[in-house]
Amino acid sequence: MPAGRGYYRIVLKAPEAAAVAVPGQFIMLRVTENLDPLLARPLGIFSLPSKSSIEILYRVAGRGTALLTRAEAGQTLSLLGPLGKGFPMPDKTITPVLVTGGSGFPPLHFMSLRTKGRAQVFIGARSKECLPPISVLKSLRDHSLSVTIATEDGSAGRKGMSTDILNAFLTKMEKKTHFVLYACGPHAMLAAVSRIAAEHSITCYVSEEERMACGFGACMGCSIPMKAGGYKRACKEGPVFDSREIEWGEQDSLIRLISPIRPIRRMIGE
Amino acid sequence: MPTKSAKNPDLSVDFAGIKLKNPVLTASGTFGYGEEYAEFVDLNRLGGVIVKGVSLKAIKGNPPPRIWETPSGMLNAIGLENPGVDAFISQKLPYLRQFDTAVIVNVFGYSLEEYVGVVERLDDVSGVSGLEVNISCPNVKAGGIMFGSNVKASFDLLSAVRKATRLPVIAKLSPNVTDITEFARAARDAGCDGLSLINTLLGMAIDVRCRKPRLANCTGGLSGPAIRPVAVRMVWQTAKAVPLPIIGMGGIITGEDALEFILAGASAVAVGTANFIDPRATLNVIDGIETYMREQGVGDIKNLIGGVNV
Repeated sequence: MPAGRGYYRIVLKAPEAAAVAVPGQFIMLRVTENLDPLLARPLGIFSLPSKSSIEILYRVAGRGTALLTRAEAGQTLSLLGPLGKGFPMPDKTITPVLVTGGSGFPPLHFMSLRTKGRAQVFIGARSKECLPPISVLKSLRDHSLSVTIATEDGSAGRKGMSTDILNAFLTKMEKKTHFVLYACGPHAMLAAVSRIAAEHSITCYVSEEERMACGFGACMGCSIPMKAGGYKRACKEGPVFDSREIEWGEQDSLIRLISPIRPIRRMIGE
Repeated sequence: MPTKSAKNPDLSVDFAGIKLKNPVLTASGTFGYGEEYAEFVDLNRLGGVIVKGVSLKAIKGNPPPRIWETPSGMLNAIGLENPGVDAFISQKLPYLRQFDTAVIVNVFGYSLEEYVGVVERLDDVSGVSGLEVNISCPNVKAGGIMFGSNVKASFDLLSAVRKATRLPVIAKLSPNVTDITEFARAARDAGCDGLSLINTLLGMAIDVRCRKPRLANCTGGLSGPAIRPVAVRMVWQTAKAVPLPIIGMGGIITGEDALEFILAGASAVAVGTANFIDPRATLNVIDGIETYMREQGVGDIKNLIGGVNV
């Protein structure tokens, strides 16, 4: 079902998965029982609307997600999950600071629901129409302490990036020990959030995205470079990592996202 | 002891001296070291597990992106990431040994000496049923394909490996050659006990907007149903040319897919990419073979091997 701004909503009945899912985890969903497209799609969990269902919000980014928009109510799809390690849950003394850009908001929306009005949310987008759908912004406002928006063209909220408003917020705070950052979005944004966290000496958890075939640790496709050397699997040891663990300099995809050749907006309806 | 009949078909095969309760194995690199699948699959049901390739020293693997989906298939360039043979023996093998299934260890190196080193290390280890020697990985610069695309180098390597172990030696052949049967003959001449084919087909995909390869490694190995007809053809050609038992693989999703390979001349099959899209794929394949045998009135799987009428 269209959710606005190029996003679609799908609610899946999956009682076993819904019973144990936590924010930051994902599911692998096959969009067809045919062999093309072959692989399941990794999708972050947006919310658990009931004890037996999982809500997903996704943007059409290619053939697989385009096919998914044609799924009909009552249809059966193959689902594996919940997968991966979610965000470590903050105790009551902690103020979770959620930072997102692009289409990275679903796991953080789930996080805002679980932290019951304690989260401070920072959202960045290229322009107003690239922000999360209006219903999502409303839900974030309803379940968080505050929501601050930045757009690169200034068409909504403050002009700039999510990292600019985050940095401004943290800089004016005298006491920072009660903050923990949770970030999900493009690699370039995560790298920048990680730097800001280090500058302010704040713990930061990032949810990484990488292409994967299986979602449960077998294909070794979703490797994230580690500072300590070698790789860890986004699907198994992640997708959530302590930002200090990650070797931010080595990522090829990071360079790609910074490259101006590919405007983000183009991905909608691609 | 139940007797063989179409109602109670016998799926067991003896592959190069390795007893398999059914002909369904897991293709190397798609099943980790078994542990990742244990919550989905009773490993005791499998004919065997061919583990992810093991080398003398740990290997870090290629930078991401490592995989890319293609029509009915996928490209991968993992780069043979593995913890090394000693870590395999101490940390991975004890887990697999608990199960009543054959464990075939896939081995590789960057030089003949490294191949021999890893094979010697595994020779006196309990719980290893056989070795699959990877002379065909397309994703590492030296090693792998360097041997697998040169008949003389293949022969020399496999001869050295054969001398270094008492275990059955299975050569995993590359499809990225003009005539795969030449390599099958070299493996036989080197004293190998069996063959595994095919490894992935070398492929490439390009992001036309960024004008960059989809994989950081530029090229990768193509697997999945897209390559199945090529694999069936190569198994058929090889089975006619060389009297060694064959493990057939390439895009097997269902029991009927596996039976294509068996009828083409494979004594066993390996399920690969299908494990990624359905972790229980191996069990579906076993059940599918059994159903086919009941329907067709076949009491013994061995009667189907090479049974294609041409």
